[in-house]
Amino acid sequence: MAEKRAGIEVENLVREFRKGPRAVDGIDISVEPGEIYGFLGPNGAGKSTTVLVLTTLLPPTSGTARVAGYDVVKDGPKVRAAIGAALQEAALDPFLTGREHLNLQAALHGLGRKQRKRRGEELLERVGLEEAADRRVRGYSGGMKRRLDLALALVHEPRILFLDEPTTGLDPQSRSALWSEVSRLARDEGVTVFLTTQYLEEADVLADRVGIIDRGKIVAEGTPEKLKAEIGRPSVEATPAEGSGREAVARVLSRFGEEIAAQPGAVAVRLMGGAGDLADVVRALDSEDVRVTNLRLDEPSLDDVFLEKTGRSLEGEGAQEVKEAQV
Amino acid sequence: MVGGARGGGFFAVALAVAGRQVYKYFANPAFLAPALFPLFFFVAFAGGLTRVGDVPGFDYAAGYVAFQYVWALLQAVAMGGAFTGFSIAGDFENGFARRLMLAASNRQGIILGYTIASLVRATLTGALVTVIALLTGMPMSGGFDLFGLIGLAILVNVAATLFGAGVAMLLRTQQAGPVIRTPIFLVLFLAPVFVPLNLLSGWLEAIARLNPFTTILDAARGLLAGAPTNVLPAYAIGAALVAVFALWAVYALRRAEKTGA
Repeated sequence: MAEKRAGIEVENLVREFRKGPRAVDGIDISVEPGEIYGFLGPNGAGKSTTVLVLTTLLPPTSGTARVAGYDVVKDGPKVRAAIGAALQEAALDPFLTGREHLNLQAALHGLGRKQRKRRGEELLERVGLEEAADRRVRGYSGGMKRRLDLALALVHEPRILFLDEPTTGLDPQSRSALWSEVSRLARDEGVTVFLTTQYLEEADVLADRVGIIDRGKIVAEGTPEKLKAEIGRPSVEATPAEGSGREAVARVLSRFGEEIAAQPGAVAVRLMGGAGDLADVVRALDSEDVRVTNLRLDEPSLDDVFLEKTGRSLEGEGAQEVKEAQV
Repeated sequence: MVGGARGGGFFAVALAVAGRQVYKYFANPAFLAPALFPLFFFVAFAGGLTRVGDVPGFDYAAGYVAFQYVWALLQAVAMGGAFTGFSIAGDFENGFARRLMLAASNRQGIILGYTIASLVRATLTGALVTVIALLTGMPMSGGFDLFGLIGLAILVNVAATLFGAGVAMLLRTQQAGPVIRTPIFLVLFLAPVFVPLNLLSGWLEAIARLNPFTTILDAARGLLAGAPTNVLPAYAIGAALVAVFALWAVYALRRAEKTGA
């Protein structure tokens, strides 16, 4: 019997493909009810395969996964009734309108005619598609398709929502609107959200906890703050003004920590005393009459966490081999 | 309130899938194009070969147009099944099937849904062929068993649909089209299409005698002429084909589930 408030429990989950590497290689995940869990990793890391297994679209090779208290292999129908999912590519029928999609999705979930109509209206309004509701989706923009996909995932009021890279290809406005809706769902409706993304900012802003996956294995897990704190202290970078030499800036900053790589012409140090040292850095520069044009405090990012754990960076176009770049 | 729906059962899923397919047939005339195939065959063969009815040994009482009509009707419903298979393959290729698999609590309902939609399509194409046959002078003598004929047509349509569904779900690409169409075409044509079995000779006669569709075709012609022959064996063969291809479709669905649909 499933608990009413169960989240996601994954133990030693493995998924192998024929003639391929292990897409998912023995991962353990625990997501609490009502939590937003960010699953972060580069392309091909195993994020989507994990989602396919958790949504019963792909059986695991080994290991166990319970979603909403139900085993994904033995209780597939119960899992599907409890979850909603917006997968990486919004699979929509170009010949159906937005409203017809919602009606179909609700019918598949066994909602009655009146319920389907009510829920459809409600969701169209919520995702801002009332005006486009009766247009065929082949004329929808990418953002509209994503919003419809989210509405479809919510039509049966799921307890757990899977979002597989939901903002890929969206403009900043649409992305921000989607973030707000996801936060609201978790906060106001207690929906558990399992969100995969390759955007660091998205995981940082939305997720209560983050799991970082690389080559099928989870390399780090925790709150974004904890993960960032684990890998080190913040750094400060100063760009000397004309008349103040780089050496003078470096001399002052060296009192606060070891020098690290910086932008060309600038000096950066890792602050021994944390972000609280920033005021002392300003006072020291001022007292020695060393002038700077720019002073920036850099907190460690999730990319730094990824870099620390894998030796590669997530930012930019795909994960770049930092070591290769340095050679 | 967040609670999660109970999930649509077998019939809820089937009706939802069928509703979408049927809507698509009627919303887009292009989806009805397959109906033109059997109409073309019927008009071409029944019109151009009517004198075959005068050949010694041609003993079909209802005449040559009716003789051709039965084949055209069964071809129409069989090809309706094949085209439903193409639609299923398309849904898998463009990812829509994944939406169905994700939302359907009982996934076998998806197969039933496509089958219901195929029957609706077959009803439409069958009715069109019948109207054209009547307009081109098919005599409707007394004593014919319309329901018996419709029953056989339903079995042929369902069997072809389930066969096509199985192939579509195994291959999950529109390239499945020829794999679905070719065997159905062969079965339809390697039968007494233009003349009765007793007028066939050589390898075609040998194959036609072995072809289970021959029994169905002969029984259907007998029902239309009011002289039923081998009706029970024809129904038994039709039911067996439906049972075998239902298992085939469920097997293919399981395979699709295992590979991530």
